[in-house]
Amino acid sequence: MSPASPTADLDTIELSPEPRGRRARAAVRREAGQPGTWVLLVAVAVAVVVGAQTPRFFSVDNAKAILVSTGTIGIAALGVTLIMVCGGLVSLAVGETAAVAGMVFLFSLDLGLVPALLLGMAVAAAVTALQGAMVGAWQANPIILTIAAASILTAVGARLSATSAVQPASDAFARLNQTPLGVPVVVFALLGLTVVVQLLMKATRMGRLMYAVGENRAAARAAGLPVALTVLGAFAVAGALMAVSGAFSAATSHTITLLGASQLTFNATAAVLAGGTAIFGGYGSAVRTLFGALLIATITDLLLLRGADLGMQTLVKGLLVLVVVLLGHLRGQQGRA
Amino acid sequence: MTADPVRTQASRAAGPARLELRGVERSFGPIQAVSHASISVEAGQIHALCGHNGAGKSTVVKMICGLLEPDAGEILVDGEPVSLSSTHEAQRLGVALVDQELSVVPSLTVAENLMLGAVGEPVLLNRRRIRRHAEELLARVGLTCSPDTELGDLSIGERQLVEIARALDRGAKVLLLDEPTATLSSTETELVFKAVRASAAEGCAVIFVSHRLGEVVELCDRVTVMRDGRTVAESSTVGMHPHEIVHQMLGEVPQKVAKASRRTEPPSLVLRDFSAPDLFEGVSFDVSPGRIYALAGQVGSGASEVLRALAGLYPGSTGRAELDGRPLPQGRPEATRARGIAFASGDRKSEGLFLTKDVRTNLVMTRLGSLSSWGIVRRRRARRVSAEIARFAGIPPTRLRTPVEQLSGGNQQKVLVGRSLADSSVKVLLLDEPTRGVDVGGRGAIHQVLRDAADQGIAVVFASTELDELIELADTVVTMREGRVVSTYEGDATEAAVLNDITHAEGTA
Repeated sequence: MSPASPTADLDTIELSPEPRGRRARAAVRREAGQPGTWVLLVAVAVAVVVGAQTPRFFSVDNAKAILVSTGTIGIAALGVTLIMVCGGLVSLAVGETAAVAGMVFLFSLDLGLVPALLLGMAVAAAVTALQGAMVGAWQANPIILTIAAASILTAVGARLSATSAVQPASDAFARLNQTPLGVPVVVFALLGLTVVVQLLMKATRMGRLMYAVGENRAAARAAGLPVALTVLGAFAVAGALMAVSGAFSAATSHTITLLGASQLTFNATAAVLAGGTAIFGGYGSAVRTLFGALLIATITDLLLLRGADLGMQTLVKGLLVLVVVLLGHLRGQQGRA
Repeated sequence: MTADPVRTQASRAAGPARLELRGVERSFGPIQAVSHASISVEAGQIHALCGHNGAGKSTVVKMICGLLEPDAGEILVDGEPVSLSSTHEAQRLGVALVDQELSVVPSLTVAENLMLGAVGEPVLLNRRRIRRHAEELLARVGLTCSPDTELGDLSIGERQLVEIARALDRGAKVLLLDEPTATLSSTETELVFKAVRASAAEGCAVIFVSHRLGEVVELCDRVTVMRDGRTVAESSTVGMHPHEIVHQMLGEVPQKVAKASRRTEPPSLVLRDFSAPDLFEGVSFDVSPGRIYALAGQVGSGASEVLRALAGLYPGSTGRAELDGRPLPQGRPEATRARGIAFASGDRKSEGLFLTKDVRTNLVMTRLGSLSSWGIVRRRRARRVSAEIARFAGIPPTRLRTPVEQLSGGNQQKVLVGRSLADSSVKVLLLDEPTRGVDVGGRGAIHQVLRDAADQGIAVVFASTELDELIELADTVVTMREGRVVSTYEGDATEAAVLNDITHAEGTA
């Protein structure tokens, strides 16, 4: 499976009369024109080269560590993808939402694993849906609004954890740490959710509306499309996904704190952008984000193995995002010319 | 910084004209927008430039203010041939454009705006001196506000006065006003007229571009009329009636008369005293299924705005707007669309289409509900329906997978119109300037599509400024000016009558 073809294939599934081979070739051509695709390929190449010179990079344990981290970043990033496709919208409360939902999950584990997970998802979805309603219906500035949400959630989280580590209510979470076939559960979750989100975006009415709203909000409004409802829906599903990410983080470390919240926000957003989803909306996919998350997790791991501190990690990922955004911007200008 | 005494006492004696265009030409690709324009404006004269859409007016204006260069012919300022290669160069030579979109900063005060970009200003601004200077300037244009008022608190008309004051301060010799009164109330218009007269009295040559012929006769000394890219007449406005300008604008062409009326069913959409503050007032007419209605009016007449309000894009309209006996929701385009009113914007790029998406996606976007089961879009159904619409709207089937941004203007417009066709949920189709930027062939095709839509029982209402389109296409023409309905023609509209109604105030209300 090349990184380009699955995205492209799902992209064209809708309404495509051409024979499969021609369609795939056309899709590959189209994907090759995207700056994100190239950045992704170059970054993967660099990671392999640097990895070869890094002791312990090519080991089963390290691969497993990368995959677990890809899982938590990727699931949250799927949510960010939905928000971003709706056009110029971001959430700066990804990590905080995940953390608080993770706490809800741990506290309610005595209800059983699935109910606890669903409860965490419901709480997070409600919180983000509220933000989505304000952004969608009142045109609230998503940056300011989600920063406010992040600080409110931080306060709530601090109260919940009473400034110390949160203890799980039962050990039902352990099932999330299993490794069937030697692969962590979170990886299966990420793959499954990628398919679900990809189908949501490409095959459902709501997904098609998200692209339309993201590409041209004024046109969507003038055409009488349900703009506010679409944005609200994207935020709500995103919140649920952030909660799943938070639950897996909580399960991995048997507790969850707000300390890593801003890192997750940054990593998830970087994964979406590195995957090539357009920051101004209307273009992007879940499969792209999957590869973006893998890249971000690999880079983080490499830097850790080479002894880089948090500052250096952030710097490298920041530069990567900068390059992707600049390339996307330049291409956008070309397109308009 | 005080006004140059030589300039303020400019002689009105005969000499070279302040601004002269001699046989100016300009084409865009194969289209000759201006084939021969000659205008001569003396210092102190207010000179009107009139002409219907496409006559070449705006191209001439752009050439005078340095936005376009002529292909042939000469432009002279004070008898000297000049090359107006940029707006900067035009400003240096004393040509100032008072824009429809004003280039002032709303968050600064009036005095600060007047200082913006002024030449030779000291680095350290002396507040008191600036203030005194601003007061003098405001007095020259007859604006009575304090120089410390924030510009954003002024009305559009007052802001235009500030622009004029700024131009005078820079020593403008030629003042160019392009449709300055299109969006102004009558009191504001009077203010602008006073300022224009004051500028002329100071020796400016004023060029006044307007569709409002009543104003032209009232304000201007002379008028030049353009038709089909040529300046066809120049005359004094003394004793002139706006009718004469209308005749010059139309030429000696045989008058087109609207065709016989279609069948009339009882009205489905009823407007009574429909109003929106500052946009239109007291609009009343009936719309029946299966007929085509035109709202004829220039920019600022309220014609487009009525459509936008009906589409739910303006909250706060008042009066009665009822579809099938029930009032229409206001300010909620989703709810309006659900009632069966579809809207196609006149600005198809920024408010109409999803440009990077393909034709199919655009065609089905507004009817995903009917193509989905349990929220999942049925691809085969979507494919079939989009092919059907494409056939109906005359979109080549080979273009269905093409991103809309790569289509010609005509095909783009067909996509925008087609989106609302063959859709049983659409009862009324509203279109703002349905053939703007569409070539002749595409235009005919779109007209045919709209006739077919009407034949299938949709009520079609469009706003247009194109006379021949109004006459050809509409069963009923409603003319509008300054936010009000002037008259309603049932199949007996002529180009002259419509042009009279939409350009000057002598018509019957």
